[in-house]
Amino acid sequence: MEAVLHNKDHGHAGADAHSESFIRKYIFSTDHKMIAKQFMVTAIIFLFIGGAFALFIRWQLAYPGEPIPVIGQMLPDTWVNDAGAVTAEWYTQLLTMHGSIMIFAVIIPLLVGTFGNFAIPLMIGADDMAFPFLNMVSFWLFPLAGVIMMAGFFMEGGMAAAGWTAYPPLSAIASYGQTLWIVSLFLIGFSSILGGVNYITTVLNMRAPGLKMFDLPMTVWAVFITAIIITIGTPVLASALAMLFMDNFLHTSFFQPENLIVPTRDMTRTAGGGQPLLWQHLFWFYSHPAVYIMILPGMGVVSDVISTFARKPLYGYRAMVFAIVAIAFLGIIVWGHHMFQSGMNPLLGTTFMVSTMVIAVPSAIKTFNWLGTMWRGKMEFTAPMLNAVAFVSMFVVGGLSGIFMASTPVDVFIHDTYFIVGHIHYVLFGGSLFAVFAGLHYWFPKMSGRMYSERLAKWHFWITFISFNGTFFPMHILGVGGMMRRIFDPTVYDFLKPFQPMNEFITINAMVLGFAQFLLVINFGYYWFYGRKAKRNPWRANSLEWQAPSPPPHGNFDRPLHVYRGPYEYSSPESVQDYLPQTTSPEELEEQRRHHERRLEQQNTAEPVN
Amino acid sequence: MLDWLPENVSVFGEGVDHLFRLIYYISVAIFVLVNAIYIAFIIRYRRKRKGEKAYHYHGNNLLEFSWTALPFALFLFLAFYSDGIWEDIKYSEKTPNPDLVVEVMGQTYLWHFRYPGSDGIFGRRERGLISTTNPFGIDPEDPNGKDDVTTINSMNIPVNKTILVRLSSMDVIHSFFLPNMRVKQDAVPGQWVDIWFNSIKTGEYEIACAELCGSGHYLMRGVLNVQSQQEFDTWIDEQYTTARAALANAQETTNE
Ligand code: HEM
Ligand SMILES: [Cu+2]
Ligand SMILES: [Cu+2]
Repeated sequence: MEAVLHNKDHGHAGADAHSESFIRKYIFSTDHKMIAKQFMVTAIIFLFIGGAFALFIRWQLAYPGEPIPVIGQMLPDTWVNDAGAVTAEWYTQLLTMHGSIMIFAVIIPLLVGTFGNFAIPLMIGADDMAFPFLNMVSFWLFPLAGVIMMAGFFMEGGMAAAGWTAYPPLSAIASYGQTLWIVSLFLIGFSSILGGVNYITTVLNMRAPGLKMFDLPMTVWAVFITAIIITIGTPVLASALAMLFMDNFLHTSFFQPENLIVPTRDMTRTAGGGQPLLWQHLFWFYSHPAVYIMILPGMGVVSDVISTFARKPLYGYRAMVFAIVAIAFLGIIVWGHHMFQSGMNPLLGTTFMVSTMVIAVPSAIKTFNWLGTMWRGKMEFTAPMLNAVAFVSMFVVGGLSGIFMASTPVDVFIHDTYFIVGHIHYVLFGGSLFAVFAGLHYWFPKMSGRMYSERLAKWHFWITFISFNGTFFPMHILGVGGMMRRIFDPTVYDFLKPFQPMNEFITINAMVLGFAQFLLVINFGYYWFYGRKAKRNPWRANSLEWQAPSPPPHGNFDRPLHVYRGPYEYSSPESVQDYLPQTTSPEELEEQRRHHERRLEQQNTAEPVN
Repeated sequence: MLDWLPENVSVFGEGVDHLFRLIYYISVAIFVLVNAIYIAFIIRYRRKRKGEKAYHYHGNNLLEFSWTALPFALFLFLAFYSDGIWEDIKYSEKTPNPDLVVEVMGQTYLWHFRYPGSDGIFGRRERGLISTTNPFGIDPEDPNGKDDVTTINSMNIPVNKTILVRLSSMDVIHSFFLPNMRVKQDAVPGQWVDIWFNSIKTGEYEIACAELCGSGHYLMRGVLNVQSQQEFDTWIDEQYTTARAALANAQETTNE
């Protein structure tokens, strides 16, 4: 099996940078590193689109009905009213597209598409993915899906407007923008499965000689387990989407009961007899595991970054692996916690509350092990480390807010309020996105062959970190105050009026947060081409990718690899240095030690004895 | 932070708030503890010169075991502790005998309320009969339904009485949210869900929709009037009179 997989059609033995046409190299590339960069660039473009949408949402919430400054008048009149203020229709499209884009076109492609593609072959010492062609298809489905999702803009009725959760009947009776949303998600699911199969096969079959499963870095473990979740969960989403498509486009009734009173649609063709809650079960059966798709790779990256920059072995490596496996398994049986107030039998609420409380345990285990890794370390706070450290702290907040919602009686009050929005952003922005930042900075030298500006990166980190907390922490307070999510104008309600200053505060922070991201783009964009040349192993890290040249050529490694140990042997007494690469053979190690001793002796004899 | 909660005026709301407070204090304690350790580590274990070696240590099984077992015990305790209150709020077999049953029907973007007529009996209803003019789908053949009282966006209830709300929707999913009562329940078309509460204080409170139901979602506001029994009786009597008058009127026009 292994031999077959290694002997691929574009057959290269080791690294030979043969010349390729521009199209083969930059567009329809099958090289995992190029595909990773394509995922990265596309996702960052979507990050800015989704971010702009969020700022329009925030403007409206802070200053309801007031014209958008500067650009308000320039926007199309399907979006804004005559004065240039956001309309309720556009607002609903904005919140739907913001959520959908950020989840499906930013976080998943960055964590799974970018890091999965870039790191897996390099970290396991392979020359490429098992199925490079599928990999290319997996990428190209993604921008296609992104464009389709937003194409509703050109349709009557605009883009999808039923929330990223698309609960029917609202989504079933919606116009073409929603249909496109469904098609788009279907394609993204397809892309995910292609990627998932690829990652699983690659990790199982293409590891360098000597590399055992329990010597894999956490990033690889995390993406591997994530890929398994993807292949289990996504088909369920696909079938749900197929049914919703038929309800929406062909007037079937999987999710629609009889006699819905909808003046805007011809309902005589809809027979009824469906169940709206069926969608929620199917959707969350995928989408709860999907939230772990969005955090596990981040946890993996953060584990590697913290260990590298603390110069310490990862604390409790096996416990960390088992915690991921436990999260993946338990993640399949907790979906009902999104449905406590949905009208499903409250007895199920009890069961799902118990399973949800239990799933918080592996999250706690991971947190304590990160603390353990830092304990008695020698930490160096480079940009990747800062972002990783922020990840842990923010993830604790997100995990704890999860406990509130897991408690069904408390969830009665905070369900569908801004408390949920706070939770989401602490885990997805404070968690996943900070992990993305950590990983991007960490592998930047390997990806580009150059160093980013540490100074700019630190500015980016601090501004992001502070304005992130200023934006999202107060949302918990809004939620405690009862402010519903997805409302266009909170001032309609008397009980929400006192919160208007807080909404303004959030919006100001959100703007700072949004504009701070240009620092990242400037840093990466400029130093990608003009930065100082990076060494092979600038962080003095152990894992295999740092044995390849920076940037690695087509085929990755310029010499055969053999793996002797795990990736976390930092500060090992066996080595004279503070790190011990996985590939250093015992003979080389012995040689190093002798060399070191000789040098010490020379120093001693050279010193005048008095 | 919990001072921001809207005033609680319901019986089981006390339980919800109590649990909220409990989890809040536990969370703050965990947060402070973890972050204190964290910040201490960040300050203390910095690298001072290049190549400096850290402590080479892979972990400790006893510690792993204890930080698995302790959170496990804590979270399971929270689950079982919460469940008692949850059962009181939502389990149908634990619902107290209601003093008043009100049917609530969500429609984009308003709330319909229906009270039984002076006979105390709801008329028969059927999903198939629902229309814009007959939001509850009341059977016109059933005499019991003729005097039923319906209102829009305004709900009156007597104080200190157990109210059973029977909830559904005409079109898309809505969520019946009474912030001051700590009540939230989705209204699902094609399905009736019962939810109860008991208000301990008179006054005017707000009703909101908590589930995205379209671009007018934010407009789906209603008013809940919690009245003394006396005031409520006067109010409902007025409604009976108007309902009877309307009925008589309708019969007259058909007789002519
Ligand atoms: C300690 C672990 C966690 C627990 C106990 C937990 C619990 C919950 C619960 C109970 C809900 C439903 C709340 C409601 O709608 O009323 C929820 C929502 C959510 N959680 Fe978590 N969660 C945890 C971790 C995470 C992580 C790691 C992520 C993602 C990276 C995440 C992402 C989300 C999202 C996106 C939603 C909102 C979905 C929506 O309605 O739009 N959660 N969480
Ligand atoms: Cu979930
Ligand atoms: Cu509604």
